[in-house]
Amino acid sequence: MAKKKYNTIEDFLVDESFNNWVKATRLADVDFWEEWIAYNPHKKDLVYEAKDIIIGFEFKHIGPSKEKIDTAWSLLENKINAKNLEKPIKKSPNYFKRLGIAASILLLVSIGGYTLNKSPKKITHKTAYGEVLNLKLMDGSLVTLNSNSTIYYYENNNRKVWLKGEAFFEVDKKITTNAKFWVLTDDLTVEVYGTSFNVDTKHQKTGVFLEEGKVWLELKNGSTQKMVPGNFISYSSVDDAIIEQKEKVASRFKTSWKDGAIIFENLPLIEAMQKIEDTYGLTAIFKDEASKTTLITGGVPITNLSICLKAIEKSVNVKISRLNDQLIIQKK
Amino acid sequence: MKNLSDEYVWKALKEGDLKAFSILYKTYYPRLYNYGLKISRKVPLTEDSLQDFFLYVYEHRENLSDLDTIAPYLFSSYRRHLIRVLKKKSKIVSFDEMDVKIIDIQFSPEEIMTHQESETFKNKNISTLLNKLPKRQKEAIYLKYYSGLNTNDIANIMELNYQSAANTIHKAIKNLREEVSILQLINS
Repeated sequence: MAKKKYNTIEDFLVDESFNNWVKATRLADVDFWEEWIAYNPHKKDLVYEAKDIIIGFEFKHIGPSKEKIDTAWSLLENKINAKNLEKPIKKSPNYFKRLGIAASILLLVSIGGYTLNKSPKKITHKTAYGEVLNLKLMDGSLVTLNSNSTIYYYENNNRKVWLKGEAFFEVDKKITTNAKFWVLTDDLTVEVYGTSFNVDTKHQKTGVFLEEGKVWLELKNGSTQKMVPGNFISYSSVDDAIIEQKEKVASRFKTSWKDGAIIFENLPLIEAMQKIEDTYGLTAIFKDEASKTTLITGGVPITNLSICLKAIEKSVNVKISRLNDQLIIQKK
Repeated sequence: MKNLSDEYVWKALKEGDLKAFSILYKTYYPRLYNYGLKISRKVPLTEDSLQDFFLYVYEHRENLSDLDTIAPYLFSSYRRHLIRVLKKKSKIVSFDEMDVKIIDIQFSPEEIMTHQESETFKNKNISTLLNKLPKRQKEAIYLKYYSGLNTNDIANIMELNYQSAANTIHKAIKNLREEVSILQLINS
């Protein structure tokens, strides 16, 4: 990167390393650019103009309320249905076949019951395998708890929660008090101030994906990490190491579960089955090697095992049979 | 679209799936609503035009070509739709520069975050300065930083070529930087 020439605004704007410096996302780039600016003082104005273009302005999104949108939608839905009655639209015979997996993605989350253990002041929410739970905390923050997960907090402070398993958080901003929100796991603490993000503690590590806003991670080894939207960081305190770090991950791969689907894109079946195992608490057994590496693309529901298995069978041409807690997978 | 892949929803929608359409609707309603309100400045007109627009999108779904992303398509068609409605209302015979005259976005101090990372734009009067910009620059700023669209999409929506859209954004920022530094001189 040091050999490139930076003469116009555009040269800076399209440069990934420059963008990383502006957003302070990669330490190596931060160091490089601080030095570069010190050595090129005549380009300082250009640099700061480019920086301002990238950062721009942060806007508060004051939009219509959810109720308002829902009402507007039901009005439109009625209008469409009434029109459809007038002149029925003919569905093509292979309608469902062509929709294929897309339809299974659209299955909505069914909300299961939950247990509420009220010991002295501790409030716990727990989900079983194949169950997804939507929670609204007392401060207005929303939590979607994935299957086989537990979250607890103390009654006097629900802005500090402990998590085992996986959950997606939409934290309500407390503009007046500037109050922060913390999520604690075995590996790290996520410190936030109004934002939405996903935390997954499965397999002895904690993966955090930031969808919106800004969060700080405090790892068990004491170091801190700032995250910007799209970032994914996975850290294990046992190994005291960052297992995976990505600067830009598409949201759907990390958070689609809360809408009732797991999305795969060219994923080897063996890795896809790992997610099915986590979700439904089952063990996958492959009868042949070839099936393990078959790539799967599409979405499967997380609260209905039989539809989920059918969707997989259909898209990768395998047969899956269930034997107690085992899923036997073989080529068709 | 936030959670489900645009393409899946798009395909299902083209098949007439109402559930897919409701996902599209609920995802884009707030963003288009804000945009419409900025352009028309009238709540009832924004709401009505959005309903008509979404009904149009649904009824003409078969004519839609497959798209990589739905956002720029929705923004640009809704913009055209709304301009048509506004033109009809103001009973002005259409001429080419009409949309430039109609779209005059105003920013309010409440909607701009003050804990900015950019030192330049931490200024409290930034909304006043933004409002002083030429109309096209204001719209480009709105689409880029409020609606989170990229330069390519903005070019499509505002019916510009890529370079003009990029230049419009750069000029806006440059103007603002100058305004801010003048203010700082006066205040110091």
